[in-house]
Amino acid sequence: MGDEGVGNAIIEDFEKKKSRFQGVDFLDLGTSGPNLIHAIAGRKKAILVDCSLQGSAPGTIRRFKPEEVREKTGLPHLSLHQGDVLGLIELSKQLGECPEEIIIFGIEPEKVGVGEGLSETLKSKLSYYVKIIEKDLVGA
Amino acid sequence: MPKIIDINVHHVTRVEGHGNIVVKASDGTVQKAEWQVPEAPRFFEAMVRGRSWEDIQTIVSRICGICSITHSLAAIKAIENAMDIQVSEQTDKLRILTHYSEQLQSHILHVGYLVAPDLFNVKSVVPLVASHPEAVKTIIKLHRIANTWSDLLAGRTTHPVTFKPGGFTKLPLENELRDLKETLQGIVPDLKTVADVVLSVADRLPNFSRPTEYIALVQPGVYTFYHGDIGSTDTSDRVPISKFETVVNEYVTPQSTAKWTKWHRPSYAVGALARFNLNGDLLNPLAAQVAKSFGLKKGCANPFMNSVAQLVEAVHVVEASLQIIDELLAKGIKQEPIKAAPKSGVGVGCVEAPRGILFHRYAFDKNGICTGANICIPTNQNHGNIQKDIEAFVPQIIDKEPDQIRLLLEMLVRSYDPCISCSTHFLNVEFI
Repeated sequence: MGDEGVGNAIIEDFEKKKSRFQGVDFLDLGTSGPNLIHAIAGRKKAILVDCSLQGSAPGTIRRFKPEEVREKTGLPHLSLHQGDVLGLIELSKQLGECPEEIIIFGIEPEKVGVGEGLSETLKSKLSYYVKIIEKDLVGA
Repeated sequence: MPKIIDINVHHVTRVEGHGNIVVKASDGTVQKAEWQVPEAPRFFEAMVRGRSWEDIQTIVSRICGICSITHSLAAIKAIENAMDIQVSEQTDKLRILTHYSEQLQSHILHVGYLVAPDLFNVKSVVPLVASHPEAVKTIIKLHRIANTWSDLLAGRTTHPVTFKPGGFTKLPLENELRDLKETLQGIVPDLKTVADVVLSVADRLPNFSRPTEYIALVQPGVYTFYHGDIGSTDTSDRVPISKFETVVNEYVTPQSTAKWTKWHRPSYAVGALARFNLNGDLLNPLAAQVAKSFGLKKGCANPFMNSVAQLVEAVHVVEASLQIIDELLAKGIKQEPIKAAPKSGVGVGCVEAPRGILFHRYAFDKNGICTGANICIPTNQNHGNIQKDIEAFVPQIIDKEPDQIRLLLEMLVRSYDPCISCSTHFLNVEFI
């Protein structure tokens, strides 16, 4: 993975200091697709962090809610590992299990595809991303 | 009937990984009907070379996020085979019990999330919440329970951490097994609910059949997923798993980055329907009833019935698990020191993944360092049969509208529950 692994990198950082955030679980959901439904079920708040193609400059982080975006991929359930995030959130809502609040942090990649490690652009901004996301954890 | 048919499905949705369907026909004559696999190779067999025998199962569990337990077990069995490492009856039963959790998880996921939308004429499971809320809630409940079951025994749902050559790093407590037993007893009615819902639309499964060789593990007296020899519906001979290469006969084909296989015929099929066709008379009672309710009989050669066979197996493994838990509790769970030491050798491990028979072979030097590997996965073994099915099915449906043809071929591919490869993932959104 290239910059698609930015979510993993951020979670790894939070794991090191998770004792500071009582009542918060940091989960690396990897490519587990439908398991997102189980992970967020019954929670008060869910913050999803992932690489996201948003038409922004590489490295840009944007905070948004599911209702503020529309999926462009166009192929529901392209694979089990894509998981159709917005569709699964909708499923969770319809099942009455959805958290009161869902926040998504999308980070524009510089490079995606076969390979190892984040691009320098994203790597250099990792601590910045963590600081931004932390604000949503305070009082969570 | 449309004169020109030009179908290019790039990629098939609701399968794991990437595969394309190409059909070209003119005036009822099929010029091309292909199942193409463009997935990039994963290089796991190269990755494990030079790695310690203690790391192999952890690495190869990453081959798949859905059948990671299965890959771990195949690897560990191969390592133990190579190094003459014996395991206790308790370890054997706990591994099978863990394996069953993945069968349930995978089959429910496939039937509920991936196949059901086709049967209900929707694009994904999301619209089904409005039309069939209880069925969807039941599917999610069963999937969730299967995940929790895996967590208990494998340490987590994906990529197990409690397995190691020779035993377990962590054993379940007896009260945890009792709780699991109660949970599994509780979901038997839920499985019946799902079976009834699928039965209500089972007539939408195409009635297509093609004489096919089916291959699966066979073991006397057991509907096996874990021990046994290699069996085929084309012969009563049984092949020891150590000789699996004489069965799979892998070869390269230009239309696929994944190899194909053949044995007595140009292709063969593996998976739930294969296991049923070889072992169907050994099903547990409730599972046998579910099979009967669908009219599923040994000798079935309709690939669309693979999903029904998965449903039958979901019931079977729950029944079998209740029995195993009773056996474990009768003797009590004992802490067992792991006695395993590396030595040179070559070993084969074989288990039935949810999608079919899986083979791992490893060679090790005297320090337990891997010097070579060969992994033959079930979907590999099904690709050739998918191609042959498409070639036989397309002429039968060529008179339909292109969209119908496309959908039926996608359903055909989905019925195999292919696990083509893991891939990268990301959100692709526009702001509104």
